[in-house]
Amino acid sequence: MDADPTFPILLSLRVAATALAVVAPAGIALAFVQARRRYPLRSLVDAVVLLPLVLPPSVIGFFLVVLFGRRGPLGRLLEGALGVRVIFTPAAAVIASAVVALPLLVKTAQPAIEAVPLELEAVGRSLGLTPLAIFFRVTLPVAWRGVLAAIVLGFARALGEFGATLMFAGRVSGRTDTMPIAIFDAYQSGDDARAALYVGVLTGLSLVVVIGAAWLGPRAAAP
Amino acid sequence: MSEPRPPALEARLAVTVGRGERAFSVDAELSLEAGVLVLFGPSGAGKTVTLQALAGLVPGVRGHLRVGGEVLLDSAQRLAVPAHRRRIGYVPQQQALFPFLDVASNVAFGLPRAVRRSPRSGVGALLDELGLGALAAARPGSLSGGERQRVALGRALAVEPRLLLLDEPFASIDDEGRAALQRLLRAVIDRRGVPAVLVTHDPAEALALGDRLVRFSREKTSASAGPRALTELAGRGPVTITGLPRGPVVALGQGRARVHLEDAVLEVPEDLLGDAAGATGPLRIELP
Repeated sequence: MDADPTFPILLSLRVAATALAVVAPAGIALAFVQARRRYPLRSLVDAVVLLPLVLPPSVIGFFLVVLFGRRGPLGRLLEGALGVRVIFTPAAAVIASAVVALPLLVKTAQPAIEAVPLELEAVGRSLGLTPLAIFFRVTLPVAWRGVLAAIVLGFARALGEFGATLMFAGRVSGRTDTMPIAIFDAYQSGDDARAALYVGVLTGLSLVVVIGAAWLGPRAAAP
Repeated sequence: MSEPRPPALEARLAVTVGRGERAFSVDAELSLEAGVLVLFGPSGAGKTVTLQALAGLVPGVRGHLRVGGEVLLDSAQRLAVPAHRRRIGYVPQQQALFPFLDVASNVAFGLPRAVRRSPRSGVGALLDELGLGALAAARPGSLSGGERQRVALGRALAVEPRLLLLDEPFASIDDEGRAALQRLLRAVIDRRGVPAVLVTHDPAEALALGDRLVRFSREKTSASAGPRALTELAGRGPVTITGLPRGPVVALGQGRARVHLEDAVLEVPEDLLGDAAGATGPLRIELP
């Protein structure tokens, strides 16, 4: 008999949530740096961050396998030091989701941070706040809507990740079959009802997320 | 015997902001024993940039800065105290109040967390001193220009700065409120003995508030020369302003008159202009 039909739903939610827990702090910090600092390799960093958005998922999957595979540099390091193998595990699904969520997160959060008046941050500095305190006490309270919208969109993107996950995490039933993978599997084996279930759940979730992001989205900060 | 107090401010600052054709350089020499130093001149002369350089808010400032005897910048020694350790209060022209906080929280913003939440933080007394007691719970969006300015002033004063910087503090205030706020500002500063640098384009304001004036002007002799402080008028005593009028003297009623000079607009009691009203040459005005 087939695996528990709720498994892919719960796995997808867990994978996307874990991916965001990892990538959101890094992505928001990166958005802040890109919005506020001028440094030599800034445009190169911009391009690299954007890359997963334009590359085919199979290319991202290939890179991840090369890096984290049993013979890849990071894969060998993890297996040697911690005895952990990443490829074909739920952790691989988390990494794939995090990589594709990052560009959307940074590119949505960055304009929200750029829109915070520099004068506010300047006053904060003159009042004795360290740069880190400025971020939490000045920038974030003004830009929180846009930053939250970025996290929500990143979550939706992580939830829908398919191509890179397929190559890097595989389709191990009851282990790495997230909803997009489960849809593909069910469809291939002729189980259209099962496929339709996950299609419905994913479509509904994505709709909620997109509406939520639009509601949070760019709106003029109250003076 | 007490030691002589070090001067409130000694500075020589040179800075270029922007790049390419939009680059803009400022070179200013400032000194103040105590009281209020007014940077005065037309917009675009670099007054605001000079304030921001004092506060440590623009990168790449060359020169030296000493406030109350303490060195905050010495580019020759590669020393530049970062803005958040300078203890210099900055009140920008647009006030920049934190929109997500009420008036009391705006004023308390720079205080340490424990002090901020204490009823004995002194914020209440400061609000009362500035006439903001009834507005403690109001949001910045609901305030008038004068109220916003007082909140910004209180926020800077709450952390007991060693120097106060004020950028056009009366620009967004109507004529009636202006005189009252000028008196309040002068009283608040005198009570604390905190030295202040105030930027204005208005000569009347400069003379009303300044113990010492530095006049900035736009000088476009070469791309890199930029504006710099031209003349310094010492003291609050009698002052003479000379300049070429760029139009007729306009009577404003109630004994006041306005005249445009090369780089300023002067509004003074009519009788001060004397027979200058009919003159065509350089104007010479004696201010008491």
